[in-house]
Amino acid sequence: MVKRIWPIAAAVMTDSLRRKVVYVVLVFAALLVLAIPSLPDYGLGVESAVYREIALALSYVTGLVIALSLAANRVPSELEKRTVYNVLSKGVSRWEYLVGTWLGILGVMAGAIVAFTAVEMVMGYFTYGELMWRLWQGALATWLEMGVISAFAVAVSSIAGPVVVVTATLAALFLGHSRSTLLGGEGALALKPFYPSLDAFNVVNPVAHGSGVPLVYMLSMIVVFIGLVGVCLSLGVVLLGRRDL
Amino acid sequence: MADAAIRVRGARKVYTIAGKPKRTAVADVSITVESGTIHGLLGPNGAGKTTTLKMLLGLVRPSAGTFEVLGVDSTRPSGRRRLGFLPEQPYFPIHLTARQAMRFYGSLVGIDSEAVKEQTATLLDRVGLADAERTELSKFSRGMLQRLGIAQALLGSPEVVILDEPASGLDPVGQRDVRNLMLELRAEGITVLLSSHQLSEVEAVCDQVTILNRGVVAAEGDINALLNVDGRTSVRATGMGALPVSVASAAEDTVVSGGAWVFSVPTSATRAVVDAIDEAGGTIVAITPKRESLEDYFASLLASGPKEVQ
Repeated sequence: MVKRIWPIAAAVMTDSLRRKVVYVVLVFAALLVLAIPSLPDYGLGVESAVYREIALALSYVTGLVIALSLAANRVPSELEKRTVYNVLSKGVSRWEYLVGTWLGILGVMAGAIVAFTAVEMVMGYFTYGELMWRLWQGALATWLEMGVISAFAVAVSSIAGPVVVVTATLAALFLGHSRSTLLGGEGALALKPFYPSLDAFNVVNPVAHGSGVPLVYMLSMIVVFIGLVGVCLSLGVVLLGRRDL
Repeated sequence: MADAAIRVRGARKVYTIAGKPKRTAVADVSITVESGTIHGLLGPNGAGKTTTLKMLLGLVRPSAGTFEVLGVDSTRPSGRRRLGFLPEQPYFPIHLTARQAMRFYGSLVGIDSEAVKEQTATLLDRVGLADAERTELSKFSRGMLQRLGIAQALLGSPEVVILDEPASGLDPVGQRDVRNLMLELRAEGITVLLSSHQLSEVEAVCDQVTILNRGVVAAEGDINALLNVDGRTSVRATGMGALPVSVASAAEDTVVSGGAWVFSVPTSATRAVVDAIDEAGGTIVAITPKRESLEDYFASLLASGPKEVQ
């Protein structure tokens, strides 16, 4: 099983390294990081906190663009070009193909977020003389959330084209962060436990302004990640399994 | 009878799209491919060949039927691990080199990396791509991609190989190479299921054929038995300005070219025809059972076939 999933994941990662979009997004985001300290209106003593908050936001947007660009295109493109025939005819299950694809995207995002966070750390150190280790907690949260987002996008992409995938994924992202807004009223409170919220991955406050994210919370984030990814990929496997190629 | 390497029973595929009438791509197809043979799958466009192959390979969900390769359900991934497949007009990730593509596909068939390297070199050489193994696929011609498709189908030393239009995009030399390759595979005991429009290719290499038309099996069997015309013998003779009268009255389908006479006579009259030509000073070059060309057989079969499939 792993013998079949890993080559697919590795192929996705190798392919991604050839895509200019990943580098363009990273370079553009890095330039923005370099520009953060030049922003005016920093209050006395909160410069580094503001820097961390904006750095986290940039990491998030960068991860999102990369996740969408990879997840929305990969499966539809392989189905349309029929390159998937050569893969599935070799005894690879559709679920192995889908999971391998997702793992490849997750790997690319890990590389991108690590690289980006490293740039933010270095920049923060030279600007504020502070090693901002907590940024790595934010990086982990971003990576986990983007893992969920890309799993959702991969699932939708098994039956839809890139435009639909991007639209559906952005809608899911919006809904995923709107639990309080949508279920704020008392009447809907009972639904809260069933709402697929992405708020669990929002660690901006403890990372930027607080004292970091507790270990227990980090572990619970991973549990949420596994649950949501499991649901998304299971849905994708069912959808792809029912499709004639 | 040898064991069946591929067995398809009652294959049926009906496409249902909301708001549109149902479309039957395959109505009822059963195929048995004996081990170690080359079996041709023929049919006009839309006959259901590719859909049948896709059902066999688990790429399309069948509406009905059973599909076995080497006794295992091939619609399940585990049932496809001993077969190789060349899709029609194969596509590959074009940023890879031939070697990288082979190694990627090799890694999926469950052989270790050393064996993948070894087979990559051997197979690329076998299909005539040894010099292009470091070339990016974006620079490959259609024929080169086809050759690569054949090479990847042979990774992992499959016992059954399914080739969908293997000569497509190949020049005459390439087509000859593919024919030879199929014959080599058969000699190695590998079963080949060949779907092709190239009737000459099928006629040259196939032991058995199944002809599909409008989603059903229109004919099947030994290609010689299908094409031989019962009761008639083909004669080829030279050295005569005209056919002897007794021969001319029995001859049909007479063609003269370059001083050679080719015609058919009733098999029962063959002895008398040979004697008459001999007496007229002619030379018998060949006497063979009269054989219809596959093109003619195919055309007459399709003309008399079912008009509609529902």
